[in-house]
Amino acid sequence: MNLRKHNSGFTRIALLAVMALVGTGTMMLGTPAMAHDADCPFCKLKLLQNTKEQDNEVVLKYGNKKIEYRCVFCAIADSKRYKGDLVVLAPSEKKGEPIVLKRTAANWSAPEGTVFLNAFKKHADCSLLSRAFTSQAALETYAHKNGVHEFKATTMGDFVKNALKPAG
Amino acid sequence: MNRTQLVLAALALAASAVPQGHAGHGGMNPESRAPLEAPPSELPAWIGNKTADHIFYKPAPYNFAVYRIPKLAYDLNAVATGHAMAYEDMVTGKAATLDSKTFDRINWVLNHPPKLMPDEAAISPTMGRLYGYLEKLFDWSHILHAQTVDLMIDPRLSWQQKDAEIERLWKFYNERAPFTITGLPMNMEYLDGQPYSGHFRKNYPKVNGLFWGYHWLQTTMYDMLWHVPTETQLPQYDVVGERYHQVELYKTDRDFMPMMGESSPRFSKRFPEMANSFDNLHMLHDMVNDILTSDWIPLAEKERQIKRAMWMVLASTHKGCKPGEGEPGTLHDHRYPMGMPGMGIMKGGDEEMMYMPGMGWMRMDECGHCSIALPEGERWGATVSANGWTMLVRCLLCARDMATETPGRAIIRASTEDPKTTLVLISDEEGNWKSSLSNVVFLEVLADHPECSSWSRAFTSAEAFRKFVADNPDYKDAKPLSLAEWSQLGQPTPETYRKIDKPNPYKPAPPPPPAKGEGS
Repeated sequence: MNLRKHNSGFTRIALLAVMALVGTGTMMLGTPAMAHDADCPFCKLKLLQNTKEQDNEVVLKYGNKKIEYRCVFCAIADSKRYKGDLVVLAPSEKKGEPIVLKRTAANWSAPEGTVFLNAFKKHADCSLLSRAFTSQAALETYAHKNGVHEFKATTMGDFVKNALKPAG
Repeated sequence: MNRTQLVLAALALAASAVPQGHAGHGGMNPESRAPLEAPPSELPAWIGNKTADHIFYKPAPYNFAVYRIPKLAYDLNAVATGHAMAYEDMVTGKAATLDSKTFDRINWVLNHPPKLMPDEAAISPTMGRLYGYLEKLFDWSHILHAQTVDLMIDPRLSWQQKDAEIERLWKFYNERAPFTITGLPMNMEYLDGQPYSGHFRKNYPKVNGLFWGYHWLQTTMYDMLWHVPTETQLPQYDVVGERYHQVELYKTDRDFMPMMGESSPRFSKRFPEMANSFDNLHMLHDMVNDILTSDWIPLAEKERQIKRAMWMVLASTHKGCKPGEGEPGTLHDHRYPMGMPGMGIMKGGDEEMMYMPGMGWMRMDECGHCSIALPEGERWGATVSANGWTMLVRCLLCARDMATETPGRAIIRASTEDPKTTLVLISDEEGNWKSSLSNVVFLEVLADHPECSSWSRAFTSAEAFRKFVADNPDYKDAKPLSLAEWSQLGQPTPETYRKIDKPNPYKPAPPPPPAKGEGS
């Protein structure tokens, strides 16, 4: 279970209730999981799961494949390995309404108004600080709520350029 | 005598010294042969060892069938060469450049593999002279490896015949071979807990990575070859071989060496003794690598330690012991994870669960996708090979969805309604599947996961599907799914999936920070 600091108190209570239902022994040895215990194919850190308040799971769809990533930056950075068209479902500020990012004939597109926050220094924070939003206002609300003071909203084009540039 | 007569006489004298063709087989006069020189009075002691140092395959019609998959055969030839080159450098004072010059030489061979299996003694003569007794132990086990692979590839035998022959090969090895490694599960944490353990992987990560890459190939190929249509073995090796060359040979971040039960779970369940003996062989390789490269061990002591390491895994050492028994954490700990008798207890693990490097904690008797107990018997479920791992799962849905979530190409091997027919599916990077059975159809009628092996199945034909539905009226409304239709389906992670949340035993947690006031 991911009990990161940014989860709300309500989420903690809900999780504790689930644990109580499942039983102490099971809690110690096996807990219900919304996603497999897998690592992000790009940054190799654990995938983060959706919570009741916020979606975190980023999914890259390529043909019949549905690969999960830790954040939208990781998904786009790793998209180099796939040759054809693909789609990235990036969780937005709206629960259950991911933003659909498309790569068609090597060109990336997103719904009008989409902006990106990309403020992480280390991948341990990428899920929190690399996200897509349906509007500038939504991004600012999120940044304020999560204590992010220095940030710049980026467009699809700039975000992709940054994610795809060679490392180092 | 005049000048001409002198020349003729000289020529006649010379002619008499030359053999006169084949008549009389040489025609040399024994009285004119130079005398043999006597050998020196003191010869090296090992020359006095009258035991034969070279062995060959037990005669069998399937020997060398591995060449039906040329790339696999050449890669295995290169593995033998790589081992020998590394060992020779370890024993001739070249350890300092193992991860540079030795690695480069071996890597060249891996990318330009020999077409024939080399004689390792020719590549590592010093190793043979110093540790010939070790080489004998390796040789017998390597031959067992090679013959079982050949057997599984030969298309002329049925699978019943092959399984019987695998049993015979094991019996021959176990009862007749003079130097044998035990087929009992061994506690890997114990074996890898010697004073020298870990030295090689820590100090020579690249060459150790090659060794563990070889072991990945040698453990993964068994499920690739066993109980599958022989015509699928070559296309499967396209996937496995590509992974081997591009990724597995160059991984330096593995927690532990690949194990048979992890990489070929089906074969290991069916032939646990053979699986254990190969794991114990690979563990012996690791121990020898550690000993040979540990500078703090004097040469004479190295020999004693190698003999001790051998003794630890010899079959004779464990005579009378039984699988599943033994004092935990000791040399005679022969327990195994539930559901996987072909594997010893791993670091931090017990019979309930084990830590699989790269996959996390798991129970070997449960589906890797839905965490429900694996089925037994003829409807054994499926395996999924993707991203370097192979997992046993309960059903076709579990297999497909696990592959869907994993980047790269994948292989599914699944049971069908015909116990003699295994379905093999191979996907491309996009998850488009090709089937070994051209008429395959699928049943998938979603219900509770504890019964998924009932409602998610593969059939060899539409007729077989209809017969099943006729015998099982619960599915009377089900339609057979084509491969294309089945490929498009996908479900979220099963609600039954349970993640075991324990830390990686190979990566100890950092010490807690000192409490306020301490250490200041």
